[in-house]
Amino acid sequence: MEATSSVPTKRNAFNAWLSKQWMPYRQVSLLGWLLGSLVAVLLETFIGTSLAWALGMSDVPALFGFVVMLKQPELLPSIILYLLLIYFIPIAIVVRLTKSIANKIAGLLFRYPLWITALFHIVLLYAVIDVWAVMNDYRVLLAKLMMIAIITTLSLNVVNGYMGEFSCSHPGFLAVGAYTASIIMVLFFVNDKVMGPALLPPALGPFFFPIVLILGGVVAAFSALIVAIPSFHTRGDYLAIISLAFMFIIKSLIENLQVFGGARGFMGQPNLASLPVVFVWTIIAIWTINNFVRSTLGKAMNAVRDDETAADAMTVNTRNTKMTAFLFAAFWAGIAGGLFAHVMRYVNPGSFGIKKLAEVLAMVYFGGLNSVVGSIVGAIGFNFLSEMLRPLEILKWVIIPVLLILVMIFRPTGLIAFKDFDPEELLRPKNQTEEEV
Amino acid sequence: MGYFLQNIVNALQWGSFYALVAIGYSMVYGVLMLFNFAHGDVFMVGAYIGFFTASGLMALAAMGSIAIPGWLILILTLIIAMFLNSFVGMAVERIGYRPLRDAPRASAAITGLMIGIILETGNLALLGAQRRAFPPLIPPTVYKVGGVYITNQKIVIIVVALALTLALHQFVQHTKWGMAMRAMAYDFLVVPLMGIPINTIAALTFALGSALAAAAGVLYGVAYPVLGPYMGIIIGWKAFVAAILGGRGSILGAASAGFLLGFIEIFVTMIFPSTMRDFIAYTIILLILTFLPNGFFGEPYSAKLRL
Amino acid sequence: MPLLQVEHMTHFFGGLRAVHDYNLSIEQGQIRGLIGPNGAGKSTIFNLITGVYRPSEGKVTFRGESIVGLPSHEIAALGMGRTFQNLRLWRHMSVLDHVKMSQYSQIDYGLIGAFFGTKRRNQQEKENTEKALQLLDLVGIRHLADSMVTNLPYGVQRRVEMARALAINPKLLLLDEPTAGMNPDELMDLMQVIRQVHNTFGLSIFLIEHRMKFVMELCERIQTLVFGEVIAEGTPKEIQNNPKVIEAYLGKEVET
Repeated sequence: MEATSSVPTKRNAFNAWLSKQWMPYRQVSLLGWLLGSLVAVLLETFIGTSLAWALGMSDVPALFGFVVMLKQPELLPSIILYLLLIYFIPIAIVVRLTKSIANKIAGLLFRYPLWITALFHIVLLYAVIDVWAVMNDYRVLLAKLMMIAIITTLSLNVVNGYMGEFSCSHPGFLAVGAYTASIIMVLFFVNDKVMGPALLPPALGPFFFPIVLILGGVVAAFSALIVAIPSFHTRGDYLAIISLAFMFIIKSLIENLQVFGGARGFMGQPNLASLPVVFVWTIIAIWTINNFVRSTLGKAMNAVRDDETAADAMTVNTRNTKMTAFLFAAFWAGIAGGLFAHVMRYVNPGSFGIKKLAEVLAMVYFGGLNSVVGSIVGAIGFNFLSEMLRPLEILKWVIIPVLLILVMIFRPTGLIAFKDFDPEELLRPKNQTEEEV
Repeated sequence: MGYFLQNIVNALQWGSFYALVAIGYSMVYGVLMLFNFAHGDVFMVGAYIGFFTASGLMALAAMGSIAIPGWLILILTLIIAMFLNSFVGMAVERIGYRPLRDAPRASAAITGLMIGIILETGNLALLGAQRRAFPPLIPPTVYKVGGVYITNQKIVIIVVALALTLALHQFVQHTKWGMAMRAMAYDFLVVPLMGIPINTIAALTFALGSALAAAAGVLYGVAYPVLGPYMGIIIGWKAFVAAILGGRGSILGAASAGFLLGFIEIFVTMIFPSTMRDFIAYTIILLILTFLPNGFFGEPYSAKLRL
Repeated sequence: MPLLQVEHMTHFFGGLRAVHDYNLSIEQGQIRGLIGPNGAGKSTIFNLITGVYRPSEGKVTFRGESIVGLPSHEIAALGMGRTFQNLRLWRHMSVLDHVKMSQYSQIDYGLIGAFFGTKRRNQQEKENTEKALQLLDLVGIRHLADSMVTNLPYGVQRRVEMARALAINPKLLLLDEPTAGMNPDELMDLMQVIRQVHNTFGLSIFLIEHRMKFVMELCERIQTLVFGEVIAEGTPKEIQNNPKVIEAYLGKEVET
């Protein structure tokens, strides 16, 4: 016992040192962090390539060097140096230099309605992502897919986390949204060999794209009635099977619709899902879903989950609540599907099967149930991990499941579960915290 | 008429695989109230164990130049594969389910799903992507009975499947261990108070289910001698659905639902193009579950996922 | 016109007759009690009135409206609040959210408001929060508004249930064994709370209880239920001295 006692004290000393170093950064507002990141990504745009060459790398490390690290471990020192020079040190310097001014600006913005502050931050965030991503096509694609994953994960969390059902139907909703949007877009705005000439001038495509996406979402929501109506009487396990059957039905239905390519898939979607488009949809998804789950109407889902009889006795219309949850989730899954189809510009039923289901479920449960932040973290973390481990090829699909099992064992409801996401808290200037602490 | 009867035989064979795999799902579901999503892949592992056992036994026979008859190798393969695969099942329980006994049930479902993926990719990594051909153990002989062609393979498959189902049913109904399993299915919380070792029973449940899955895997190899790492997905998910359709934890229910699913699929392909098989089969399942929300044989119950 | 009128209500579970020819009439502002041994069907009567089960036979009228066959949440929204014998709180929700949830039927910002966070929604959520906090004040647990219910002691959880039931603006409050599992101190506190609630809102209260002292002190009239049938009805004093009631509780005196 005595031998081990020195370890905790050493660890405590280290922790104390760490938190002391971290102290100044606790007063940095989100605005400050965004400014720092912007400087870092701008720096990378201008000197990233030459610095990478100077450090002996062939190109700018696309994913913060994680992929390169596994491929060429001997480059590890260069990668660390690169990350320090481009990201950590510039961000640290900028953040500390602008701390007070950023807090002042944030405080100033805070006097206006919240949406102005939010918009300001969102534009800045987009700038960071855009400057970071345009460095190469791989980053653009990855960023788009991550954002779509965020929408998908959030929408599944509404049913599986907030309402506590184990729904397996999400790949089906994604497929319905993807195919609906693809078919309408190709039919109306693309001169296609299979679907014939465009019915409307293709130049109008970008303007109708949002409407078509919404239409895809609405059709997906309608298809969700097949799962939502049985949910009035059945809960839990049987509903899980119903939703699973729904997923298989949609998949094999598409496989049998030869008009739309059947199992071969459907292609020719116009190139409309650009980075800003996907970004805007992601922000709208996060915003509406977070609004919903924080309202009393949305929290009714939690009441239905935790005790349906009590919810009913407290005037909660449980049927409406279930219906809303399923349809709303399916709507956003449909939007995500439509975006996915237009990012890949090709869809096939094979991508909406069991594998997709495992992936979405993994993202939801990895990130955390009943939590918007959890879903965002889950989607980004999972995709990031998946890209990072790509050089390991097959072994990747051993490591990721093992990690997920560990998460389930030690945090059975996910990393950040049962947390309210309050944008006001996030955007708040941080200089007051000093007085509170 | 002959065509019709022929399809009944085919459906019985096809349903045998579903039935044997479904029982494994159903037992775990009944006793522990958990979805064992790894079970389809345990079936796959069973088939591979069978493949290696059969190949090994044949090589051994060839080395010693002893003429061991095919049926004896099949029986030995069945027994060895069932025995070894039960350890696979117990390992799955130990790693993926025991640590999560008090966690939400959905979390355990996720670990099951993940163990399934590990088994698939583990197989792929160890054995490579090429498919394996199951050695022909019993040379097919065709009997013609009243216009129906029956191979000896089909007879073996159907008979073994039925025999194992009934044997397991007897075990669960009449032995001390079976009684403990039923008690656990009835009330999870009271069981430890009665001095029944939960961990042992849980392991036993997984072991028995996996043994049956191995039997299904070997029989599958006899009928369709091509094995691949993803073969568990095709049979597994449908067997899972059949297990739930059969009612909670009912062995005969799960087996019947497995055979029913076999019949649905074979007869769908009799009338419609075979690509419509999944579509129609799942639509029927959806309708059954929507209008018979307790399955066929299970007692009415509705469980909420513990969160 | 009575606030709640139940006439000839009978209910079967399968072949089992759980409640037989039950009659009840509660006036505005009355406190009524229902006593009886375990398994007599008291909670079943609550569940029949609140719409959890639909009675096999009989009429139930609440505020002049027949409520047989109405879904639970609509009956509740008419002004019938209840608590449960075994606390039925929502595990993952805060105390404040419990009380806000009961104002579900009073929300009129709709889904548009819920999705897009309109002004009306923010306004109404704020008002609901205010009202919820006042109710928490009334039952004396305002300081616990942000706690998760599972972390709270039993007596506090009972108060949460009470506040939650009050938030639906009830005309009638059904309390199913409100003192179950309470110690004598908590019991006195609770009696205080019930009196206060009764006086503040002019509510009618209908309660199931085992503790005689509690019922006798609070209720104006008491029914005694045995095997689904009312065997005695009257003022506390009448009930206390009724030989049938004594027999039901203590057993028949052996004649010697």
